[in-house]
Amino acid sequence: MKPPHDMGGNPAEPVIPDKPDEPKFDEAWHRRVLGITIAVGAMGGWSIDASRYARESLPRSDYKKFSYYEKWLGGLTNLLFQRGFISKNEIQSGHGESKSPLEWRERILSAKHVSASLAAGAPTRRQGAKPIFSVSQKVSVKLPSDTLCVPIGHTRLPHYISGKTGVIIKCHGVHVLPNTNAHFLGEHPENLYAVEFQARTLWEQSASSLDSVVVDCWESYLEQA
Amino acid sequence: MLLCRMPHDHDENHAHHLLPAEPALRVKALETILVEKGLLDQQAVDAIIDEYEHKIGPQIGAEIVAKAWSDPVFKSALLRDSEAVLHEAGLAGRQGEHVVVVENTTDIHNLVVCTLCSCYPWPLLGVPPAWYKSDAYRSRAVIEPRKILSEFGIDIPKSQSVRVWDSTAEIRYLVLPMQPEESIGLPVSELARWVTRNSMIGAGLPMKPADNQV
Repeated sequence: MKPPHDMGGNPAEPVIPDKPDEPKFDEAWHRRVLGITIAVGAMGGWSIDASRYARESLPRSDYKKFSYYEKWLGGLTNLLFQRGFISKNEIQSGHGESKSPLEWRERILSAKHVSASLAAGAPTRRQGAKPIFSVSQKVSVKLPSDTLCVPIGHTRLPHYISGKTGVIIKCHGVHVLPNTNAHFLGEHPENLYAVEFQARTLWEQSASSLDSVVVDCWESYLEQA
Repeated sequence: MLLCRMPHDHDENHAHHLLPAEPALRVKALETILVEKGLLDQQAVDAIIDEYEHKIGPQIGAEIVAKAWSDPVFKSALLRDSEAVLHEAGLAGRQGEHVVVVENTTDIHNLVVCTLCSCYPWPLLGVPPAWYKSDAYRSRAVIEPRKILSEFGIDIPKSQSVRVWDSTAEIRYLVLPMQPEESIGLPVSELARWVTRNSMIGAGLPMKPADNQV
């Protein structure tokens, strides 16, 4: 069964473009969730991969029902709890029972460092081995379940390209592997490739033989075709 | 069969259920806990909101596009190594550390999506719009891009291919739209006003400023 966050190719409603005067945030609390998530993330307690995994690990019913920022909030709360930053009692009572260890309190993001922190970002390129595959080479894609590092773990391989054949159009260099990093098992950087799939190899009903989809795939997601 | 169970389908990991049901109260409760524990500076939260509300937005990407339209040397550098060019310009921040710029031509129309979450080039376009984050867009962009484009009022000729970029990694894609004929020769500052946010995602076209909506 496909996890709920892996949506590519699902039947769905028409897309409703936004109106010219649509606000950046629909609700005041949306902004707050954004700010809290980024500020807490800047402490360095986890990676973007762990954050994504926390959101996609929400129970299926919550994932479907929650709006974008509710998913962020649910994922953040669970991560804070699972990593031992806050306790169940604290979540239930809505109050912090004790100060966190100084080691963490010293690492929190202060207002004067916000601009620099956002501008610096968190690059994922690393030094590493030369790529195995080259541009124009045909590759086939493994099953998402074959790329997991822990049972029911995190992968960035969408089901709709599973088992399909595509062509490498670009090597992006060596990047942190989410499949391990999301589980605090290390960065294990690998070459990352842009792989182009002809739309008709993915979807029988594709409108045009000219169309294609490009998906970024880590080396361990791919095999020589 | 492991796949039938979802990750963390154990109650003990779902601490979020313990928060109040009302989302606004849920946020308030979590913020209070974090502040009381010394894990959150509320002024930092305010500063982050201010950045995304007032400073970081599609006008930044629009300036890059306008410059590429009017300076062929800049354009070829941008297409060859966008990451280096944007880094040099100080625009390689959070969620845009590794950007690839893809050019629309009469042969090819590019469209960007993230089917697995909602990855988006934040330093260039700001926070993603609701439609980009919607289940409908995430589901359909890869399977019926032409139909989605028609929902945005764009009809792609049969002779033009559509290439959809699914942002599954930390590479962020920015579309360099085709420059409208009637804007050729205008100064960069004026050109930037033709560049709509949606045109840099591939879900829109540049427009004359008066008609320019999103």
